[in-house]
Amino acid sequence: MIRALRSEWIKMRTIAMNWVLTIIAVVFPLVVTLITAAVRGGHADFDFRSLIDALTVTTRVSVLLLMVVAAVTITNEYGYGTIRPTFAATPKRSHVVAAKAILVIVYAVVLQTVVVVVGVLGSQAIARGKGSVADLSSVPEAVPALVGTVVLAALASVLGLGVGMVLRSTPLSVTMLIIWPLIVESIVGGVLVLLTKNDKLLGWLPFRAGFQLASIDSIGIDGGPSRVVGGIYFGLVALAITLLGAVAVQRRDA
Amino acid sequence: MISVRDLSKRFGAKIAVDHLSFDVRPGVVTGFLGPNGSGKSTTMRCMLDLDRADTGNTTFNGQRFKDLPRPLHDVGALLDAGYVHPGRSAKNHLRWLAASNGIARARVDEVLALVGLDSVGGDRLRSFSLGMRQRLGLAAVMLGDPQTVILDEPANGLDPEGIRWIRDVLTHLAGQGRTVLVSSHQLSEMALMADDLVVIGQGRLIEQSTVTEFVARYAEHWVRVQSPGAAQLAATLAERGAAVTWSGPTTFEARGVDAVAVGEVAAAQHAVLHELSPQTGSLEDAFLKATAESQEYRSGGAL
Repeated sequence: MIRALRSEWIKMRTIAMNWVLTIIAVVFPLVVTLITAAVRGGHADFDFRSLIDALTVTTRVSVLLLMVVAAVTITNEYGYGTIRPTFAATPKRSHVVAAKAILVIVYAVVLQTVVVVVGVLGSQAIARGKGSVADLSSVPEAVPALVGTVVLAALASVLGLGVGMVLRSTPLSVTMLIIWPLIVESIVGGVLVLLTKNDKLLGWLPFRAGFQLASIDSIGIDGGPSRVVGGIYFGLVALAITLLGAVAVQRRDA
Repeated sequence: MISVRDLSKRFGAKIAVDHLSFDVRPGVVTGFLGPNGSGKSTTMRCMLDLDRADTGNTTFNGQRFKDLPRPLHDVGALLDAGYVHPGRSAKNHLRWLAASNGIARARVDEVLALVGLDSVGGDRLRSFSLGMRQRLGLAAVMLGDPQTVILDEPANGLDPEGIRWIRDVLTHLAGQGRTVLVSSHQLSEMALMADDLVVIGQGRLIEQSTVTEFVARYAEHWVRVQSPGAAQLAATLAERGAAVTWSGPTTFEARGVDAVAVGEVAAAQHAVLHELSPQTGSLEDAFLKATAESQEYRSGGAL
């Protein structure tokens, strides 16, 4: 298993596209948050809560990109045919899948933690430098939401890997992972509300539920699940798709 | 030793491999031959558990592939030189393979030097020609110094020097007592390289034998004769049932009769012989005859 992990780590870090996506995933939320701190800091109506909100909202972009990185760890293998030498070198396919899963989870957790820590400390420093009060204790829901962004990134990466294993195509998987949260859930949600006249169902769409993890508002939106319940629900969806993908990898020809 | 037993693989309605069984012995190069679409590549993928066989199994020195803890030390396989990520360097391609089997990084440099790619180890694979990728594939095969080597069309894309090099490498590996199974469409190369043959058609075994036995069984045999008295000699041989084909004023080829019989007739006629040589068809001729019933894709004729 350790050998499979080492091998997968070498594969991941020797693809330039992964680095590009990683840099964007890290830099984008930090730039937005730190610029917001620089612009808003020192103003009379400065509210540290809005900075935390900016950070947690922009990390959703990081989540999407980390999901794509996770999906590509498997779809690239099928696309370029390297899945065959991979399984010829490690015939126990479950070891390869487990190694990829561990790797994308650790990768997402480490990067998202860096983003959160640098984002909070950096924005605090900037705001305080301009004379504003920027204490985490002043925003009661900040820490759960910030921890939630890290958990969300981990779960979303597992989902990305699962979608990649099921679809085995990079263009299909990336398209699916981008349009699902951004477009499909809006359309499906609209149709659901039209049909049922019950907008509480919106909160149970997987990504909406998952994004509750990183929301400053601990109470579910639209009467949907709370942070914890939404997170568990999203995690179960991710787990189900990943298990489906793992079975497909196990049974299909490489 | 590779033992393939009752291997079958179906893709929908198409039977790619049909209850195929054969053995590959160590110490010799075994050629794996068959027309296009005969199931050679599918068989190799099934042997390595990459394609899930419907029936049967393959063992390598008595062990199933999936049970090998570090398979690169036991079985080195090159199925397609194109199975690489173009954005990765040659060295990194070998490093992830080596890491998966606990092979030291230093071995990567060794095998790159072995195949003559040490000077371009840091280059991205998108800049590699097919021939360079074949060499890289062979480097990957040799990473774990395996006892068994399986190669699917390794000479594709290689220049004449490369083809000769791979022939020398494979015969050298076999000479070390390793089991070497190699498929190729270059039958002239196979004739020079292989000792044993496994010939399949439409997924079924047609023949397993040595190259010599295979050619003796399937290729045509005739006697080439050159003599100032060729006309009389040919007439006598024709009377005895030989089929005579003239290839010059004093030269003919006789089929259906062996060199001994021709020599005796010539002696009886006091005919001077300038040439009396038994001829045998090539491995290509034998292959085409053996697989005539199994050719799935045939040429339409002259253009």
